[in-house]
Amino acid sequence: MTRRAPLSLAARLAVAAAVVAVVLVLAYARSGSGIVVSQAVLTGLLLGGVYGLVAMGLTLIFGVLDIVNFAHGALMTVAMYGTVLLASHAGLDPYLTLLVTAPALFGIGMALQSGLINRTMGSSLANQLLLTLGIGLLIENVLLLSFGSEPRSVAVGYAAPLRAFGAVADLTRVIAFLGALGLAALLYLLLQRTRVGTAIRAVAANPDGAQLVGIDVRRMYVLTFALGTACAGAAGTLVAPFVTVEATTGELFNIIAFVVVVLGGMGNVVGALVGGLLIGLTEQLGGVLLPEQSPLLAVFVVFVLVLFLRPQGLFGRSS
Amino acid sequence: MRNLRLVGLLAALGVALAACGGSAPPGTTGQEGDQQGGTIKIGSIHPLTGPLAFDGQQMAKAGKFAAERINAQGGIKSLDGAKLQVLDADSKGEPEVGQSEAQRLIQEGAAALVGPYQSAVASNVAAVAERNRVPFLIDVAVADSILEQGYTNTFRIQPNASSMGTKGADYLAELAEASGTPIRSVAVLHEQTDFGKSVLAAFKARAEGSGMKVGPEISYDAVNVSDLTTEITQVKAEGVDALVVTGYYRDGVLAAKAISSVRPDVKVVFGIANGAFDLPQFTSDAGKAGEGFFDANYHFNARDPEMRKLAADFKAKYGEDIRTSSVLAYEAVRVIASGLEKAGTRDPQQLREAISGLSLDTLMAYPGPISFDKTGQNTSATPIVMQVQGGTVRQVFPKEFAEAEPRFPAPPAR
Repeated sequence: MTRRAPLSLAARLAVAAAVVAVVLVLAYARSGSGIVVSQAVLTGLLLGGVYGLVAMGLTLIFGVLDIVNFAHGALMTVAMYGTVLLASHAGLDPYLTLLVTAPALFGIGMALQSGLINRTMGSSLANQLLLTLGIGLLIENVLLLSFGSEPRSVAVGYAAPLRAFGAVADLTRVIAFLGALGLAALLYLLLQRTRVGTAIRAVAANPDGAQLVGIDVRRMYVLTFALGTACAGAAGTLVAPFVTVEATTGELFNIIAFVVVVLGGMGNVVGALVGGLLIGLTEQLGGVLLPEQSPLLAVFVVFVLVLFLRPQGLFGRSS
Repeated sequence: MRNLRLVGLLAALGVALAACGGSAPPGTTGQEGDQQGGTIKIGSIHPLTGPLAFDGQQMAKAGKFAAERINAQGGIKSLDGAKLQVLDADSKGEPEVGQSEAQRLIQEGAAALVGPYQSAVASNVAAVAERNRVPFLIDVAVADSILEQGYTNTFRIQPNASSMGTKGADYLAELAEASGTPIRSVAVLHEQTDFGKSVLAAFKARAEGSGMKVGPEISYDAVNVSDLTTEITQVKAEGVDALVVTGYYRDGVLAAKAISSVRPDVKVVFGIANGAFDLPQFTSDAGKAGEGFFDANYHFNARDPEMRKLAADFKAKYGEDIRTSSVLAYEAVRVIASGLEKAGTRDPQQLREAISGLSLDTLMAYPGPISFDKTGQNTSATPIVMQVQGGTVRQVFPKEFAEAEPRFPAPPAR
């Protein structure tokens, strides 16, 4: 599969470009306004960045541990509440709280994996699924219990909208988008260029083989889960300024994130980012093309098409 | 490929698991039976967890608060001072759970049910109430269809979707007329379920009847929408006079933020049955972006001294500002209490008779007392118009409920 990739890459790009062009023309014809189309593209990219951001941690954990982490959204919410509290009580800039939330979530991830999930590794996959589902429910309801059901929000003083080509974008969303790009680059470098990253990839490719060459597989599991959770933490903090924070806010992103993970190729961090962008664009342009329908209709049409044509995902290669 | 199938399987399992949740909280069962005096149980079903917990929890508190106040004044006098006891149940926002909880509450001896905040849950609970012949008071649930099934045990205190849409169109036309600002074209942004669609349909019929052009109609998925900028840009490109928004809280805040950054040239942003624009916390969550927004919605009567006392007492006890949905839950328990008072028995069918013939003064901003027609709809239920003025939600129209003059037109804040 990898051997014929260079050959088909150009063709694939050409097809993709043609599809994009057709969609843009149709959207323009449907709405009759260039501004609507450029706004849809801009919003789609920014939103897609956020989807990718949420999906990155999820795909990392799936690729290495083979666990579908149903607690991901809830962990993201923990970070949001961290940001809300630090910003409103300690008066920190919301983005500065990243220095607290990401490490804190890293710690929580480590504790969860070493204390709970590691005990179920190697047993039936349903065990891990039920465990993460349970952890997610537990976290969500503890948050509901301790912070109440009142929605909260984080105020950012400098949230002026940016303008380009008649389209507007909130600064907070642009920052989240850039954060997604940064995080993807960071994870990529970590996985490809460091010894730890190489070990993680070895464990993902073949846990038994990795153990034979002296890698502590369980430690790598803990580390990977913690990294994935830290990503959820970063995502939570980065989206906090433009969402209404409630105990279930993280869950909102979860369904889309699962779609993005499968679309991008499970375990592929860059695939998650590209998949996120694709879904974001599809949702927005789909909304313009079919104004009376749910924007998710277009998303799931694309999803089914991709599954049909490339069941392993866009960047599929199980890592 | 193996992984894919696995994910599908796991996801299906997750859905199945989520669907079969919903066990009864222990320790809510009382022992006393049918003797006079003692307690009378009222089942209260609201979403206490999940995304709607914000409103559901306060509504549950308000129902309990009503019972406490009635008990403190001597309980149900025609039943030897019997005390009301409100049993809470969590619908989790899911129709199936609401249905099984309704069944459980009736088995535990509830003389009447109150709830449930969502139309889909209301439909299921109404069916259970009908089968068991127990009165069911709907505090909040808007769909017309709930009362179109020929049920005789279900009553609704709030206005239904079509009257909200129709009255919304009337109010918009009247406000425009009174201020001399013509509104000729209206764009509608609405959430995509039954709620948004039925309000829109009623609004559209009435607005087009009075000469407004309605369109474009843009829908979104309130459950997982996280940005409405493109939708508002479509409104801007259309160059309409007014924007009507129907939806819930979170999406209402998103709409306000998108409106403030896109800046469509509309003369007014007019919510109809909007779950955000008339809530106190909307003014802090949306900030300046929400200034001047109207909302045609059911509302408690802020000019009524008794209502002001309730709000103050509620705040003193729970530390929260009471919202209209909770006042409706409070009213539902009051309706049951005065039904019991009038019936002089706790037999559910005689209670039903008493409720259907009731006429009860209300804390809601309705033009008359609560009384139900044959279908169970409260005939006095009417929305009024609120506006965000200087960071506070004020009642502005019609005149008999106005706390302040409407500011019309009110283009979105720059």
